[in-house]
Amino acid sequence: MEIQIKGLRKHYASEGRIIKALDDVDLIIPANQIFTLLGPSGCGKTTLLRSIVGLESPDAGEIRIGDEIVYSSGKKIAVPTEKRGLGMVFQTYAIWPHMNVFDNVAYPLQNRKVSKDEIRRRVEETLSLVQLEGFEKRPATNLSGGQQQRVALARALVGKPKVILFDEPLSNLDAKLREETRKELKDFLYELKITAVYVTHDRVEALALSDIIAIMRSGRIIETGSPKKIYFDAESEFVADFIGRANLIKAVIQEQRPEATVVDSAIGRLACRKADFPVGAAVTLCLRPEFISLTRGDHQGTNVIQGNIVTMLFVGDAFEGEIRAGEQLLLARIEPETKLAKDNEVWFQVKPEHCLLVAG
Amino acid sequence: MKPAKKSVSFIVALLLISGTLFVEKGGAAEEAKVAFYANITAVEPIMDAFTKATGIKAEYTRISTAKFLATVFTEFEAGKLMADVIQAPLPVLEMLKAKGVISSYVSPEAATYPEGSNKDGIQQFGIEYVGLIYNKELVKPEDVPKRYQDLTDPKWKDKIVMANPASHATTICWLIGLRDNVFASEAEWMEFLKGLAANKPMFVASFGPTPAPIESGEKVIGISMPKYIVTKAPAPLDWARVQNQPLMGTPRAMGISTKAPHPEEAKKFMDYWLSKEAMGLLAKDVGEYVLTPGVFPPIEGMDQAKVISIKELSDDEIAKWGEEFKKIFAVK
Amino acid sequence: MTGKHTKLTFFLIAIVGFLTVCPVVMLVFGSLSEGLTASGDFTLAKYVAAYSDPALLEVLFNTVVFVVGASISATTLALFLAYLNIRTDIPFKFIFGVISIIPMMIPHILFSVSWVLLLNPSNGILNLLLKELFALENAPFNIYSLPGMILVEGLLDLPIAYLIIAPAMSAFDASLEESSRVCGASTGKTIFRITLPVLRPAILAAFILCVIRGLASFAVPSVIGMPGRIYVLATHLYQMVSTGFAADYGKASAVGMSVLVASIILIYLYRYLTSAGEKFVTIAGRGYKPTIIRLKRSKVPLFLILGILSFVLIVLPVIVLIYISLVPYSMVPSARAFSMMGMKHWIDVLNDPISLLSLKNSLFLGIFGATVGIFLSIFVAYVIVKVRTRSAGILESLSFLSFSFPGIVIGVGFMWFFVRTPLYATIWALLIGYIATYLPYGIRPLSSAFVQIHNHLEESSLVAGASYLTTLRRVVVPLLVPGIISGWVLMATMFFRELSLSVVLSRPGTEVLAVQILRFAEDGLWGRLSALGIMMIAVSALLVILVNYIGNKVRPMVY
Repeated sequence: MEIQIKGLRKHYASEGRIIKALDDVDLIIPANQIFTLLGPSGCGKTTLLRSIVGLESPDAGEIRIGDEIVYSSGKKIAVPTEKRGLGMVFQTYAIWPHMNVFDNVAYPLQNRKVSKDEIRRRVEETLSLVQLEGFEKRPATNLSGGQQQRVALARALVGKPKVILFDEPLSNLDAKLREETRKELKDFLYELKITAVYVTHDRVEALALSDIIAIMRSGRIIETGSPKKIYFDAESEFVADFIGRANLIKAVIQEQRPEATVVDSAIGRLACRKADFPVGAAVTLCLRPEFISLTRGDHQGTNVIQGNIVTMLFVGDAFEGEIRAGEQLLLARIEPETKLAKDNEVWFQVKPEHCLLVAG
Repeated sequence: MKPAKKSVSFIVALLLISGTLFVEKGGAAEEAKVAFYANITAVEPIMDAFTKATGIKAEYTRISTAKFLATVFTEFEAGKLMADVIQAPLPVLEMLKAKGVISSYVSPEAATYPEGSNKDGIQQFGIEYVGLIYNKELVKPEDVPKRYQDLTDPKWKDKIVMANPASHATTICWLIGLRDNVFASEAEWMEFLKGLAANKPMFVASFGPTPAPIESGEKVIGISMPKYIVTKAPAPLDWARVQNQPLMGTPRAMGISTKAPHPEEAKKFMDYWLSKEAMGLLAKDVGEYVLTPGVFPPIEGMDQAKVISIKELSDDEIAKWGEEFKKIFAVK
Repeated sequence: MTGKHTKLTFFLIAIVGFLTVCPVVMLVFGSLSEGLTASGDFTLAKYVAAYSDPALLEVLFNTVVFVVGASISATTLALFLAYLNIRTDIPFKFIFGVISIIPMMIPHILFSVSWVLLLNPSNGILNLLLKELFALENAPFNIYSLPGMILVEGLLDLPIAYLIIAPAMSAFDASLEESSRVCGASTGKTIFRITLPVLRPAILAAFILCVIRGLASFAVPSVIGMPGRIYVLATHLYQMVSTGFAADYGKASAVGMSVLVASIILIYLYRYLTSAGEKFVTIAGRGYKPTIIRLKRSKVPLFLILGILSFVLIVLPVIVLIYISLVPYSMVPSARAFSMMGMKHWIDVLNDPISLLSLKNSLFLGIFGATVGIFLSIFVAYVIVKVRTRSAGILESLSFLSFSFPGIVIGVGFMWFFVRTPLYATIWALLIGYIATYLPYGIRPLSSAFVQIHNHLEESSLVAGASYLTTLRRVVVPLLVPGIISGWVLMATMFFRELSLSVVLSRPGTEVLAVQILRFAEDGLWGRLSALGIMMIAVSALLVILVNYIGNKVRPMVY
């Protein structure tokens, strides 16, 4: 179900200062997509999520879920949380410690006067969906982190909600489990064809899971798009920097060619992905470390640059190398079997389509 | 955390200092003093007057009646009885005497007291007298009882307060005293008890709480102590002048401990206590009825009243009558 | 670490055992020996006499109704107050927080008398008012009844319940409730299905502590029960010892033994019910933020309910006390009464050297005693909650031992014990007796707080290389601050107005406030009694505000 948010505003007063948690947010979350709100902590993403679910009351604006207006300051509507028919997975999972797994999962159905047999059937069905068959009688406190997370997921899903919301649901899991769960969750949500709103500050998680990512900063949504669009074609330096590691280099537009935009930068003249800036404009060139590729012997071609290796850090699947080109230090990912070492001279190339220009 | 830590250590230091204050006090040099165990109201003026007269410091340890014997016996057996002079109802002193706690000292002042008021060192000096106390603003003069029997009049229904006749020793003794000294026959007495019970008196734990409901008007009359007319002034309390019937009470007595840490001071204290001067203070300030001839509490008409000591009952008898009254008064 | 735990456990068992077992052992001796002390020849006669009393059955029935009724009302009211005060945006929180612990500071006898003046059927002020307002024939309320006793005792026990529930409430993980709302449960349903069950250990602890306190309570049964001819165990014991001049505390302790047994059973029941210790861990370190619930439309009605309840139940009795302290004698308020008001009773009290000395002594016992008591409680609560071995269970039961004995006999037990030590008749006897008897006031709120702290928090500090004590000081104690404050307040205000032990152990020079209060009560001097009582309330309130202030400096936490 589609979620439409218009002019949503929420201000806090804290220690004499006004904090704009939501600063006139307009947003459309399309139906049956995994929509991620990504941003640094304090950007307002959790406030937005909690406003959608009704745990937070905004100061102004309107929220519409499907055809129903659940909040509108103008029409004086504020549907209470329990009447919104949503599902939510909390960061702490909020598994009720005094109930067993069955009761935890059955709870949303019990609140709706579903018959006992029906409850039993659906709880079993949902538990098998999250691969927790046979865990019904287990006390909620005897569960591992991953199991708790699944119980929380089952509880959110069992009532067949219009929308399911996730508040950093993986942040309490250890690294390995997080990666596995991320993949499972992705497959799972993809199959369910459900509208999911996902809040995280972890960019990898956002990229891996989402159909659409919205980047938030200081209570505003600054960019929305598919993971690839955000990653490759961010519109602002902040987004480009936030969504992945990037070398940010000052540059000036030199020339607009039909297939590329040419800039002068601290590492020389480069042909870049086409961007709509006037000649002479100051821009930021954004180069991701993984797209800096070393060339062997062949020093010809577009965007080939010479540099010196400053440091080489082995991280397992690659080396993270720092290359000095002119006055600029560049971070680059270098294949793990390389023999290159500190102070070696290297030549590297960046393809024009990987040279992203953003305003700055 | 830093300021918190500081304030915590500050508090600890403060506590330690305040602690040492108390230790030092305990180590002060022994001075001339006398320890007085009793349960009697507002006797501080007498203690002060004694100190003024003799230079001996008098320390008053007040122990409630319910804990009096237990405390004195416990200390006595452990060799730590700190009392020099002990004052209590006569039966209590007799029990103490039986265990060898009370010496046989007879004060020269005893000569001025009525005959028979001294029994082997136990000196009776007053009567804890009981009477019908009423609220003079709420009871019309013509309604004030003229005899104890008047208390059974149905007009007093739900208007009487008294100490619990099932457990309060003095009240039990007093009711028995009525039988022995007031009523002509056991049957008349029983009729009185039943009439009183039918008026549903409110029971309180002891005499202490009896005057409050009378002065506030919650009840209007009670079986209480006339001394409250003095101590609770200006409360509108007065006593019913029962005609040709006595006021009765348990005898108050005192004696010196056989193991008195300050035996000489103890004698001086007892002599002083029994003097007309001290008894005058007791009557004037506390409204006590004392046996010193010519000394009366400042209660109108009390110098004309006949006040007698009632026969003491043994604890077994008190318990037995308590059970009996429990039934008569339907005390659950 | 386990070795250290064992050593600590046994060390504490030794201390707590010494403090609490000695007087109780003396009472066992007393109940089994002839004569009036604890050193007579062996006899079972006292047990036979005590338990063959036909009145005992009805007394027991009344006791159960009284104690359970009072505990339920105290716990319910405490939950209501704590929830609104801590979890919601109700206005004037600070005032409600103080009001809910005021009954803790009032001498119980005074509070009971105050209610008698308000609700006695003859001329109780509230009764007169209601009769006037609704043109009633008879007084609508009679305080001299079981419901009356339950009301007053419930209010007196309210602070105990509040101070145990409040820290648990303020450590509550709000996402447990939020997820219930998302799952379609209304706020009300969430409270009953989630909030209350999760708070069960604190609620049970509060309830059981109230039950044990109710069993030992004497003021309400004597001031309100006796005139209503309703006898409970405490007044039954009083009758037993006070009929006749030679009070037999041996016989009273024989009856007291069954109270003791009942209390120990309750404590084990409580341990059993909360045995899954992990169950109720709610602060896991991360994602913990107490969320304030916005009451919106129900804010004003709830505020009014809370305001009226607090006013009628707690403020009004205090106003009555102030009134009594100003009028020359007890009288129903009238124009004449107001014209006769004066400061005479206050001046009398302020000129009374013993009242002033007792104020000083009680202040010392309150502040110093509560501090020492809390220090001991931290260790005991830690062992009880985090070690949970069989010997930890013994420790917990020991800590309740003298606490659960009826007040009027435990003092005699302490006397029988202390008379054998050089501490007899010193202020230290009072101090040790207080701490030994009221240890559960420190332990209960602290163990509720300990239960909420996840083992990981401690373990991570241990891993970080901190020593055992450093862990306790740096990691655990700061998280315990709300519990420490609660426990300190409970202990200090209790010590400040302690009666049961003091009346036996206090001597010239070591007079304390409650004993002075009792003297005034025995002499029927209600005016002075009220004046001194109000001074006590004022000093206690000051202490509470002060300790809250210090606590807030250490860690911001409103309760």
